[in-house]
Amino acid sequence: MAVDWKKILPIVGILIFLIFVPLVTSRTDVLTWFFLTLLYIALSQSWNIIGGFAGQVNLGHAAFFGAGALTARYIWLHFGLPFPLALLGGAVAATLFAMLIGLPAFRLKGIYFVIGTLVLAEILRLVFYTILPEADVMPMKLLGTYSLNPRYYLSLLFAVLSVAAVYWVSRSRLGMGLLAVREDEEAAEASGVNTQKHKLVAFLISTFMAGLTGGIYAYYGAAFRPGGLFEPVWTFDAVIIVFVGGVGTIIGPIIGSVFFVLLKQFLSLYLPGGMHVAVFGVLFIIVVLFLPEGLVELITKVRHRLLGESSQIVS
Amino acid sequence: MFLEVSSVTKSFGGLVAVSDLDLGVNEGEIVGLIGPNGSGKTTLFNLISGVLKPEKGQIKFGGRDITGLKPHRVCQHGIARTFQLTKPFMQMTALQNVMVGRLYGSNPILSIRKSKEECESILGFMGLGGKSLARATTLGVVDRKRLEIARALATKPKLLLLDEVMSGLTPTEMEEALKLVKAIGDSGVTLIVVEHVMKAILDISSRLIVLNYGEKIAEGKPQEVVNDKKVIEAYLGD
Repeated sequence: MAVDWKKILPIVGILIFLIFVPLVTSRTDVLTWFFLTLLYIALSQSWNIIGGFAGQVNLGHAAFFGAGALTARYIWLHFGLPFPLALLGGAVAATLFAMLIGLPAFRLKGIYFVIGTLVLAEILRLVFYTILPEADVMPMKLLGTYSLNPRYYLSLLFAVLSVAAVYWVSRSRLGMGLLAVREDEEAAEASGVNTQKHKLVAFLISTFMAGLTGGIYAYYGAAFRPGGLFEPVWTFDAVIIVFVGGVGTIIGPIIGSVFFVLLKQFLSLYLPGGMHVAVFGVLFIIVVLFLPEGLVELITKVRHRLLGESSQIVS
Repeated sequence: MFLEVSSVTKSFGGLVAVSDLDLGVNEGEIVGLIGPNGSGKTTLFNLISGVLKPEKGQIKFGGRDITGLKPHRVCQHGIARTFQLTKPFMQMTALQNVMVGRLYGSNPILSIRKSKEECESILGFMGLGGKSLARATTLGVVDRKRLEIARALATKPKLLLLDEVMSGLTPTEMEEALKLVKAIGDSGVTLIVVEHVMKAILDISSRLIVLNYGEKIAEGKPQEVVNDKKVIEAYLGD
């Protein structure tokens, strides 16, 4: 296959830029902003697989992010094992939990699946606020040498890997099957697609990625309450990013994450604490009603109007 | 017998939709399946394709028992179907719709790239050659019916169940559709065709089976069957 330099060069350029960011600046606010954007890319791409491609609106994503984060944190800080091992352990824990939940959860259809998964995450949140009420703080020894740079590079690596994973899925037979499941389960079955298996596989890939993202957060956070890892924001931030950016696309969650973190930081300067959520709620409704394919669609439309390019299908 | 339905029963609540039905189809036949509304034609399709499980009886295909298999397994065994109300994958292109069938049906091609070429030619055969990159949402009713058949064909069926693909077509469109169905039959696919348009069904069927209240009331050569007293009664009442 011919290499399309027009597509690859900008990607390489952006990557080189991102690699050099911590070398150019040591401002923690800038680095944190980049870190969060990259973390959200990984988180939203993980939701994109189950919600965007397989069309299963999983509102319990926080459960798997939290399971990954808490497991990784415990393996790393409380059992004292090397962090990479903890990271993997967290992802495996999230996936195992998904296996346990997945089979019964996918017996639920439509709105029942949505409610069921939402309740699942809420139960975990309440349980962990109750059994682990104290904030989990990094030991002084680690805080003394704490640096954002390794966190930043880890999130960069995982953002890239998550985009690559979604790219691979979108180009694969599996991706084609997932789209078919999303569009019409009965027709997918009639065409030979094992819908139950596809939903489960998408769920496992998605939760593995969510678990890894949680692990990065466990590595980043100096102190947090374990219950907070299961807060619904982890689900809804991802859902909003995916829908605002462009559901079921590769580029959508990237654009969505950049836009989301930017707007969140901007709004928090001018609005009283927490009010940005209301703005995002309104934005979400507007996008779903008028721009069902998200900012990706908007950008394509604007570009066509400006350049007069012939319209073509963007997938 | 290629397809053998033996004493199959399926009821919904108190209503018996298919009642102790025996029915056989030989390889290479085009069997017309007719009957008044609610006579159990679509239920029979759902039973054969695995959407519904029979309460009683057995369905054998090519000598193998396929009773109670999940729809995707039935499809992989070589039985494809279309839906009365077409069910395209709306946000996918026509080509992608057909590729799903080719990638997952019986004898699937596992490579996206290789399946593409073949699916283009299936679309061409169904008269959708120029529309492979159009999303299904943008297609009209007739094209959606063509797409529905194209996707079913892409699963490489040995037996194809067509559920009212001619309804709502203009006479010219129906002529074309008939040609296509015959061409599918000529390519070696066995067909069971449910249709309300009598002219169409008489034209293509090599044999006719008539259902009423979930039971087979007549079977045989098309011209003879439509003159059968019981069949006329079923359609027109006593």
